[in-house]
Amino acid sequence: MFSRRDILKIGLASGAYGALGPGPRRRVFADNLPSSPRTTPFVVALPIAPIAQPTAAFATRADPGDCVNVDGSTAFHVHGPRVVPTNSQFFLIHEQARPHSFHPQLPANVIWGYNGMAPGPTFIARSGTPFLVRFVNDLPQNDPVGIGEPISAIHRHGGFQAEEDDGYPIDTFCTGQSRDYFYPNEPADGLVQNEESTLWYHDHAIDITGPNVYRGLAGFYLSFDAVDSIAGELDTNPQALRLPGRMVSLPSGEQFREFDVPIVIQDKLFDRNGFLVFDTFDHNGFLGDKFVLNGAIQPFFRVARRKYRFRFLNGSNARFYQLFLSNGQPFVAIATDDSLLEHPVTVKSFEIGPAERVEVVIDFTNTTLGQEIFLVNRLQQTDGRKPDGLVSPGTQLLKFIVDRDAADPSRVPDTLRPVTVGPQQLLPQVRVKRTFEFERSDGAWVINGEFFDENRIDAKPKRGTPEIWTLKSGGGWAHPVHVHLTDFFILSRNDSTPPVLERGRKDTVAIGGPDFGDVKILLPFPANFRAVPRPVTGRFVFHCHNIEHEDMRMMGQFDVQP
Amino acid sequence: MTPVATRLAGLLALVAAGCSGRPPEPPPTPPNVVATIREQQLPNIELVTHEGRRVRFYDDLVKGRVVAINFMFATCRNACPESTQHLVEVQHALGDRMGRDVTFLSISLDAERDTPEVLRGYAEAHGAGPGWYFLTGKHDDIELLRHKLGAYELDPVIDADRTQHTGLVILGNEPAGRWKAITALGKPVRIRQAIERTILPVTEWPTGAAVVNEVPYEENERGKEVVTADEVAKLLVRDP
Repeated sequence: MFSRRDILKIGLASGAYGALGPGPRRRVFADNLPSSPRTTPFVVALPIAPIAQPTAAFATRADPGDCVNVDGSTAFHVHGPRVVPTNSQFFLIHEQARPHSFHPQLPANVIWGYNGMAPGPTFIARSGTPFLVRFVNDLPQNDPVGIGEPISAIHRHGGFQAEEDDGYPIDTFCTGQSRDYFYPNEPADGLVQNEESTLWYHDHAIDITGPNVYRGLAGFYLSFDAVDSIAGELDTNPQALRLPGRMVSLPSGEQFREFDVPIVIQDKLFDRNGFLVFDTFDHNGFLGDKFVLNGAIQPFFRVARRKYRFRFLNGSNARFYQLFLSNGQPFVAIATDDSLLEHPVTVKSFEIGPAERVEVVIDFTNTTLGQEIFLVNRLQQTDGRKPDGLVSPGTQLLKFIVDRDAADPSRVPDTLRPVTVGPQQLLPQVRVKRTFEFERSDGAWVINGEFFDENRIDAKPKRGTPEIWTLKSGGGWAHPVHVHLTDFFILSRNDSTPPVLERGRKDTVAIGGPDFGDVKILLPFPANFRAVPRPVTGRFVFHCHNIEHEDMRMMGQFDVQP
Repeated sequence: MTPVATRLAGLLALVAAGCSGRPPEPPPTPPNVVATIREQQLPNIELVTHEGRRVRFYDDLVKGRVVAINFMFATCRNACPESTQHLVEVQHALGDRMGRDVTFLSISLDAERDTPEVLRGYAEAHGAGPGWYFLTGKHDDIELLRHKLGAYELDPVIDADRTQHTGLVILGNEPAGRWKAITALGKPVRIRQAIERTILPVTEWPTGAAVVNEVPYEENERGKEVVTADEVAKLLVRDP
């Protein structure tokens, strides 16, 4: 076995700029797993997923679209046809198998994507305009690739939505079937302060979320309001922050979001012929050795000398990243997970665990034309347990090429979204605290000693009543813990004030190992949905977002009480 | 071949093809998942059944079948009794599908003591029926198999403790190339449902309310405590 020091040494030796070494072997018996073939970095432009286009209104169907069970049973959550507010917009998304190029030096790989794309189309939502999205499963029943199963549940990660629309892992639909999801596009309890910012949607079906997401079933869902507005930097409303970003119409009539760039980072492994590999026998957390940004291996991105907003999502199954800029320039962080921060924070680097989002502004104003700047990951990780530590120089993920000037009416105001209902307001209402220990046990993972059971409720929080949860992990494993329905504040990490980037509203938090330790979080548990008025009640899951751990049932559920 | 060597070989082949006028190599085709798993994950090691029959792991036990594989040993007092008891319950629930639709393979991690006779006694004592094989073999072979099937610990100290590897059931549908694992320590109904999700095409998977409600509703709010006013007050003075 490699010691941590060996790993760091190897990282130093093999992590030369541009050359993506295979890195040390992940495990002793993993010799059957290939290293991916060499690919020339920075020959492909960063792909930007198209914006999801609304379609004509359609009558919603009753749930389910569930799979035809031998016993004729239905989905767990059965609702509808839904009452949809008249101002809703309608979308039709097909899950499809399509050839996809990760890199021109690799053959086309048949991925599974929303509308056949990886990442899927980007939703752009405006607070107050609900969406009704019908996801249709057109995935092949007999798939020769053998990564994933053509059965789906869609989770809008970080979203505030009812239990039947949350992608509960048992509410699945199969090939030839569909399920309608209603997204209120409203902040929980009507609080402007916790309007979501960068959400994402991905598969969440029981047992097989890991391979399905790895195969491509993930996309962005960006949420805006009057403050963080779609018009962005061109907004004339005095309330608007005018952060970098604007909508432009392409000659084709399509809309495109400029200067505001969502980037999902994923790691993938390919065999010697360039075909995607996934190890269904690895339950520790699957790692790849190729870094795929918006579906392309190590792409480049041409930028103008001005400010850009980048929305980073770690869409990897198990890998953590710590991102730096090669010229030593800082990032101005403006949002984490579900919300803009109160104030922008200038950082030299930031760590991002599976499923987390960090939004940053990068200012290219003081660069020179022709300058090349690299986004670099310096966090080494050699197995699914946890990151090993920082290495130098690390791996270049993305090359920015400064190639033009452009006007920059954008701002990064000192106050972004003030916390009006935060720990000071919520804590006096807390009456219940809970402790959840995330542990490894007999070859799998448990929460408080229990594996996920579909009919066991692990917590009964009351709607509208905040709780404190302590999330612990032993045995040297890191776990990115995700709670559905409600975002939360991190009260402390290892009994200390959380670092600056962890003081905003979050929905995923890394725990465990020497670096992350234990965290204490404050969960508001919202009381009401307003778009279609009803109290917040029902079953939602919380789980480790190392998806291999999740699929091995490191998951619990809470039932929100009326 | 290393990737670099492969690329070099490819390059040489291209040059050779250019000189001799032979057509270029056809583009690579995606791998066959069933063959890849067979070659890389399913070593064809020799084992002996509790009935004393010599068998090959792939050829005789896995090929063309749906299997549920666990590791155990007869003297194990940790997770084994519970795992075995759960599998016995699953066996009963599966009824005549045992041996026809699914085969259970319980592989001993104690090759020295677990002779076929010992395993036969263990099988009989637990009421293991047709379609369930208890297997022993060479220690190194079984260690290889255990790692290939994913029943290992990353920490070598923990990995050396065989009691740590007895809580998993590895589920495989060999002809479909579908492999996953579930804990043996969860409820037997959940193991049976996962086996059904391994046997059946997804369109026939048990899902939904029937799956949830097959086990009686249960609440277990372990870890819940009532917060005192003192505690909240302390949290309030935290540094902003």
